[in-house]
Amino acid sequence: MLRNNNLKICRKLVRREFQFHKGQTLLLIMAVTLVCMLYTFSFSLGNLTYKGFLYSYRTIYGSDSHIIYENITEAQAAALKKHPAVKDTAALSAVGVLSDEMLENRNVRLAAVSESWARETDSIPVCGRMPEEKDRADHDKAVFDESGLDKTVVHGESGFGKNAPAEIALDEITMNSLLIPHEIGAEVPIKWRSAEGEEYTHTFRLCGWWENQMGETDSCAWITAETAEELCGKRPDTLMLGVTLYLPGDLEKQAKDLLADLGLKDISYTTNLAYNKARQDYAGREAVKFYRMNLIVVLCGVLMICHIVQLSAQQNIRFYGRVKSLGMTPRQIRVLAAQRAVMVWVPGILPGWILGFLLCVGAAPYVVVGMERNPAFAFFQLWPFVLSALLAGATTLTACLWPVGRVMRSVPAQAVRYIESVEQRGRKGRKTRAPVARRMALTGISRQKKQSLPAAFSLLLSLVVLCCVRTMGTSYDEEKYLDGMALCDYRLCDASAASGVQRYNPKSRSITPKIMEALSVHPAVTDMGQACTMEVPLYAKPEDRARIIDAFEEVDEQGRARKEYMADEPDWLAGYEKMRETGEYIGIVTGVDGLMLKNAMARQAFLEGGYDKEAFDTGKYVIAAGAASSHIRATPPVGSKVDICSREFEIMASVPLETTLLSGKDSRQAQYNITYYLPLSAFEELFPEHGIRNVAVNIRREEQKAFEDFLSQILEGTGTDMFSYKDYQWTFRNAVFHLCMIPLFVGSVMLLIGMLNFANALAVGTLVRKREFAVCESLGMTKKQLRRMLLWEGACCYGVILVLLVPGTGILTWLWGRWWLAHTNTWCITWRFSLLPLWVSLPVLLILSLAVPLYFFKKIAKESVTERLRELE
Amino acid sequence: MEIISLHNVKKYYGSKENTVKALDGIDLTIRQGAFTAIVGASGSGKTTLLNMMGGLDVPDTGEVIVDGVNLSGLKEEQLAVFRRKKVGFIFQNYNLMPTLTVEENILFPLDLDGSAPDEGYLREIIELLGLKDRLTAFPDMLSGGGRQRVAIARALAAKPSIILADEPTGNLDSQNGQNVAGLLKMTTELFHRTLVMITHNMELAQLADRVVRLQDGRIV
Repeated sequence: MLRNNNLKICRKLVRREFQFHKGQTLLLIMAVTLVCMLYTFSFSLGNLTYKGFLYSYRTIYGSDSHIIYENITEAQAAALKKHPAVKDTAALSAVGVLSDEMLENRNVRLAAVSESWARETDSIPVCGRMPEEKDRADHDKAVFDESGLDKTVVHGESGFGKNAPAEIALDEITMNSLLIPHEIGAEVPIKWRSAEGEEYTHTFRLCGWWENQMGETDSCAWITAETAEELCGKRPDTLMLGVTLYLPGDLEKQAKDLLADLGLKDISYTTNLAYNKARQDYAGREAVKFYRMNLIVVLCGVLMICHIVQLSAQQNIRFYGRVKSLGMTPRQIRVLAAQRAVMVWVPGILPGWILGFLLCVGAAPYVVVGMERNPAFAFFQLWPFVLSALLAGATTLTACLWPVGRVMRSVPAQAVRYIESVEQRGRKGRKTRAPVARRMALTGISRQKKQSLPAAFSLLLSLVVLCCVRTMGTSYDEEKYLDGMALCDYRLCDASAASGVQRYNPKSRSITPKIMEALSVHPAVTDMGQACTMEVPLYAKPEDRARIIDAFEEVDEQGRARKEYMADEPDWLAGYEKMRETGEYIGIVTGVDGLMLKNAMARQAFLEGGYDKEAFDTGKYVIAAGAASSHIRATPPVGSKVDICSREFEIMASVPLETTLLSGKDSRQAQYNITYYLPLSAFEELFPEHGIRNVAVNIRREEQKAFEDFLSQILEGTGTDMFSYKDYQWTFRNAVFHLCMIPLFVGSVMLLIGMLNFANALAVGTLVRKREFAVCESLGMTKKQLRRMLLWEGACCYGVILVLLVPGTGILTWLWGRWWLAHTNTWCITWRFSLLPLWVSLPVLLILSLAVPLYFFKKIAKESVTERLRELE
Repeated sequence: MEIISLHNVKKYYGSKENTVKALDGIDLTIRQGAFTAIVGASGSGKTTLLNMMGGLDVPDTGEVIVDGVNLSGLKEEQLAVFRRKKVGFIFQNYNLMPTLTVEENILFPLDLDGSAPDEGYLREIIELLGLKDRLTAFPDMLSGGGRQRVAIARALAAKPSIILADEPTGNLDSQNGQNVAGLLKMTTELFHRTLVMITHNMELAQLADRVVRLQDGRIV
């Protein structure tokens, strides 16, 4: 008898509720949309961060493949391709590697065109095209065939036939390092080494090139399969095989397992850095920062929805009490509440997804830098959306079940009586002689405590978050950063030294005298200077050498000698050992003038000696730069002599090596070096045929636009790279934005929610007293008195909020700020405490406090007193 | 035959010196089919007593047995279904669902149960109460008397054994009050229901078979 739970009635009631309370329903849907948007945004951004890290690892690795097997036969490649764990493969038939010393920091394979490999490594020409055989097929091929290959010449000029060089496609870094002009059809002399270790030189014709998205350190030089065969004298018998797995995991193990499954032995392989567990863990930890913010999102989402539900809490509780008294079971009530949640959740999802994703599209380029395609689209995944929808649903359900819980805890008689108890609450024991309007206002405030509490809490929380973000954002000191990082307004870099992996090629002339002349006469330029370098073998006398050796072999507080810190730099160690044993080392002789000299000297903390301009300009002195700390001098002493190209210079001063002064890399031989700055005039005397490595330019900022137009015009096609202070500024601002973005966004939405909650509390506080106001009016209180009472109420409410928010926000922000300052290790910080978001919010809260109750009273007062008195339903 | 019996029912509110004895050891039995009026001053415990009979409230001590079921032995879920099937409530402030039409309000207890309505029986009630032309209207479109007639129809719809009415005419003028009370007595007699009604109106109380007077939570 006592069993029955018809649920159809729940659907009907929910439908009707929404038809009758459209405004509230729309507000709830909007709340769900906001919550879903917050979740989508933070999850998508977390996903982007994770993928962005993996992308950067892939970029370093140079391929999208999970495993690359080297030197395998075609049969082995075919077997690997058929393995059930293998999703896809990309084969590369390389005849050797480019062996020019200018490419010593990179691994560029001379290989037959492989579309799949090119796709995996982003090495498809964007200018020109891939090499083709047909172009030289007709008239040139005949000549080529007759001439044959000259495989005996090592380090000499050779070709396939003087009239018909084969085609080659290269990446831009390789071209710039080898000084190859960016012109289709340009001659490309290539020095390469076969797998057997033999070296050859051949000349090709440039048919295309691409910008290095991936493969700064690892790339391909594409030639046709026919050319590759001709170069080897036979079809290359080994391949490299890039393998993409269905389920990448522990790649080292998977690579071994694949070989073991196929019975293959002694095959070397590399695994993609992006799938390295430690790196993945690191990327995961970075992404977790974004996910952590979701805890606040959950909190503010529940608060928001709860507060909107609270708008009609009394009606809700009375409603649930009423249906309970009529025989609705607890299960039916729970289902009713759950269906209410579902009814607002479903329509809120799609707009929430769209808004969240659009925000993500806007923020993505600041999170993952350097991708042509918007990372939000490139790394699009469904899971953040599914998870957002589910969490938004859970949040909505939690908020909607809250009032049900209160009904469940009470007997129906209590729930039905609820409205009366609310009206009577807070009326006893208050005796004051204040005027009636003010007295009633104070009573009204105390009665709204419960409704105002979540609003005050969400306001406090949001303002603390925003003020912390503001304090953090303003404390990152842009000027300090630019002072430390940007030497000048613009820095031009020779094409061979534009990238951090490129070895500077002193033969490069991408910064031409014409460019220098144009710069020097440009009206916007206020100051400029240049730096030229040359690697020169030098000799350290035994007494000078002893001081340097002492510096590197002295044991520090950690019990380690300084040279031990360089254990993972074999080139440096080899150079150092050579210096230690023989006194021979590589000196980086650097000619500087004008702004470059000024900047170099101004930034240096002199360890020994000092800069004497007049003496330095005579060209008889140099300034030595090397590794240094407060008590380490790793250069020959001041006053000692150094012989550079048979000319003797005296060391005027010793400074720590400034690594940001020059772009590009020095040769591997020069990894251990001592740098000597000398005047440009002296450098020109020593090396009359020098190129320019870097140019520093300062301009009048108001002519920036015209100057940049001029720069792009004169640098076009030269390969010269340009960095401006704006790049550093952008990097800095981007990094700060990256740090602040999520808390800023969450804080802003929370503030909006807090404001809505606050306005809601005021609105509810007015609306629930509809009958009370009617009673007051019936007893002779005028509308003017009631309005005055509401203004008092608003002012008191604002006062309470003020007392809570100002010290609360101030103290919490200050405490957090000091903690953050103590725990951050960033050097460009100046403590700047800011409560700007609080000061901006306070006037808005004042307006809300005064205007909202009056507005709702005006609405209420449209009904007559008798109508309101009679109203019970 | 007894349909309601209360034994030593006590219900206190507040604590220590502020204790209010809403019901203070009530012993009461009500015969099936009888019309019982409960009268008393405000705060004498009338509504609390009615709520106990309907399972809307629980006593601190004592037991309430309705139609052979001891209410204190029921779980919340069972109590809800008990109210739905055995008791028809009529409240002073009607407690109609504002979002449902008159017809839907009347059928609400049946809808909760998922049971099919007895069409003939319902038609009879609706005609008796004069609601035939207002079935598609919403409660806020009706007068106070009209709303209370809907509440009576709803209370009778599920054919409960007992009708509990808490000052059903309290919000109506005297003419409407008389009409509603007359209808209530007539319908309960016609359909052989037990009626327990709280009222302040002694004229209405005189219509009852038995008048129970409460004072300070005790029957006097």
